[in-house]
Amino acid sequence: MQLSTPTPAAVGRKDRRPEAETAKRTLSAFKASPATYAVLLVVSALFFVPFVLMVSISLASDQTSAQNAFTVIPTEFEWSNFTSVFTATGLPVGRFVLNSVLIATLSAVGQVISSSLVGYAFARLRAPGKGVMFMIVLATMMIPAQITMIPQFLLFKELGWVNTYLPLIVPNFFTNAFNVFLVRQFVSRIPGELDEAAQVDGLGYFGVYRRIILPMMWPILTAIAIFTLTAAWGDFMGPLIYLNSEESMPLALGLQYMTSTSNAMQLPPWNLVMVGSILLTVPMIAIYYLGQKYLYEMNLQGGSAGVK
Amino acid sequence: MSNLVDEAPGAERVALRAGGRRTVRHRMSRRGKKEAFYFWLFISPWLIGFVGFLLGPMIASVYISLTEWDSFTPPEWVGLANYRKALTQDPVFWKALGNTFYYALISVPLGLVIGVWLANLLNKRVRGRKLFRTFIYLPTLVPLVATAMVFKMVLAPSGPLNDLLGWFGIDGPAWLLDATWVKPALIVLSAWGAGAATVLLLSAMNGIPKELYEAAEIDGASAWRQFWSVTFPQITPVIFFNLIMGLIGSFQIFSQVYILTSGGPDNASQMMVPLLFREAFSFYHFGYASAIAWLLFVVIMVFTLIAFRTARKWVFYETEVR
Repeated sequence: MQLSTPTPAAVGRKDRRPEAETAKRTLSAFKASPATYAVLLVVSALFFVPFVLMVSISLASDQTSAQNAFTVIPTEFEWSNFTSVFTATGLPVGRFVLNSVLIATLSAVGQVISSSLVGYAFARLRAPGKGVMFMIVLATMMIPAQITMIPQFLLFKELGWVNTYLPLIVPNFFTNAFNVFLVRQFVSRIPGELDEAAQVDGLGYFGVYRRIILPMMWPILTAIAIFTLTAAWGDFMGPLIYLNSEESMPLALGLQYMTSTSNAMQLPPWNLVMVGSILLTVPMIAIYYLGQKYLYEMNLQGGSAGVK
Repeated sequence: MSNLVDEAPGAERVALRAGGRRTVRHRMSRRGKKEAFYFWLFISPWLIGFVGFLLGPMIASVYISLTEWDSFTPPEWVGLANYRKALTQDPVFWKALGNTFYYALISVPLGLVIGVWLANLLNKRVRGRKLFRTFIYLPTLVPLVATAMVFKMVLAPSGPLNDLLGWFGIDGPAWLLDATWVKPALIVLSAWGAGAATVLLLSAMNGIPKELYEAAEIDGASAWRQFWSVTFPQITPVIFFNLIMGLIGSFQIFSQVYILTSGGPDNASQMMVPLLFREAFSFYHFGYASAIAWLLFVVIMVFTLIAFRTARKWVFYETEVR
C-alpha cells in the first residue's frame, strides 16, 4: 500500500542539476523575458502589501487608529505599541501568548511520542491483522473533523474538560493517521540489519525502538513537531469551542476576542490588534526557517502532503 | 506474513515435528506471539485514539443526527427528520451549500492557475529567484487569524485594495459588506495563499528531465508549445494532488468566514462549517448540526470520487508509459 508520490523524479535527478543549469541557457522554455520580471515583481509586491500594511498599522498611533486613517507605507513609528499591547487592551495578552506556547508545545510533544511509537510498529513489527490496521489508518485520513467534532465536544463536556486545555492537547497523545503514515514510511527506509544486529545483541523490541530507531527518526519527528506546533499555534476553531474564559485563551482566539469585544461606538484598537497579529506570525516564520531542511525532506517523502 | 526465515530456528523444528509445514504458517511461534504482542502494545496509542476519538464519536454522530438533542434534556428520536429539514425545509442550508460550492470551485482552480503560472515563471533563469519565491511563499506561513485581521483592513471600503482599484479609475465595492462581493473577497484572501502550491509545482518542474526540452527545441516547438506538451503533462500529478487537498480544505472553510463576515451580509457568505458550528454551539441543535456534518462528508466524498474518476483522463504518471 503506497500513496502516490507526485515528485519521485525530483529525488533521483538532484545530482544532475549543475549540468542541467548550463543547458537551460540555450532553451527557449527557460528564457526570462522582461515580461517575466515585470509579472514577478508585480505579483511579489501584491503578495507583500498585506505584510507592509500589518507593520504600518502596528506602528500607528492611537489617534490614527481610532480614525481608521492608515497608510500602506508607515508614516508614524509608535514602537511603544509593542509593549502597550500587553497592558493597554484590558485583556491578558501576555497570558494569551503563554497559553499558545503551552498548548502548541504539549501538542507537539504528544504527537512526536505517539507517532514515533505507532509508526515504528507499523514499519517493523509483524503481527496478524497488521495489514487491516494499516488500511484503517489510511481510511481515517478521509474522515473530515466536523463529523467527530460534536460527539467529541459532548464527551469532553461529560469529562468536565471544557474550559481547560485538555481537549486541545490530549488527543495529540493518541497521534493521527497522517503522522503515523509519515513515520512508517520513514522507518521503512532504514535498513533492517541494524535492528537485527541489535536484537542479536539482546535488545528487546522497546530497546530497538529506543536505542536504534528513535535516534534515527529525528528528521521526520522534527518535521512532525513543526507541523503540530504550527497547526496548534494557529488553531482557531478548537479554542473557540472549548475555551471561553479570557485567562485560558490562546493568542489566535484572543486576537479575535480583542476585535469583537469593542462595541459599535468604539473601533477595535487596530494598531494593537496588528501588533498581536505580528506576535502570532513571527514565531511561525522563524520556526519555518529553522526547520526548512526537514520540511523539505518530508515533503519529498510524504508525497508533498506535508506543506500546507 | 509470518516468514519462516525470521522465526527462531528451534520453533520451526518443533512445529515441523508436530504436524508438518502447514501448522508453521498458522500457529505462531513464541517469538512471533511476543512480537505481535509488542505490535499491539506499540500501536495502542493510535488504537485507543481511533476507538475513543474517531470510531466512537462517528457512531455517536450517526445516532445524534437521527435525534433532536440540546445536550441538556434527553435526546429525542426523530429518524431522518434532520436530513429532511436540511434538504427540503431550510433555505439557509442550500444557500450555505451553494456558497461553499461557489467558493471551492473558484478558489481552488484559481489558486492552481496562479500557482502553475508563477511556478513556470520562477522555473526560468530568473535572477533573484530565491527572493521572489520567498515573497510568494511567505503569506502561507501567516496563521489564518492574522491573515483575517489584515484582510479586514485590506478589504475595508476605503482600504488599500480599493485605493489600488481607484488608481485605475475603478470604484471598488464594499467587499465584506456587499452581498455580491463578499464571496469574491474571500477568494481574494485564499489567492494570497497560492504560494504553497507554487512551491510544490516549482519543485516538480525542477524534476523534469531537461532532455525533453532539448528534444522539443530541436523539433522547433515554441516556449508556449513546450509548456503544454512537456511541462504540463509532467506536473499533472502535483496539480491533481493539490486539487484534491484544496477541494477538501476549501469545503471546510471556517475561520475566515467566522472572523470576517460571520456568514453575512444576509447569509451571502454562509458556508457549511460555519453553519454547522452555529447550529451546534450557538443554538445547541446538536442533532441538526450532526446531520449537516454527514451531508458535508457526502459532498466531500462525491467530489473526491469525481476528481479520481476524471484523473485517469488527464493525470500523467510516468510509470504507466514504461
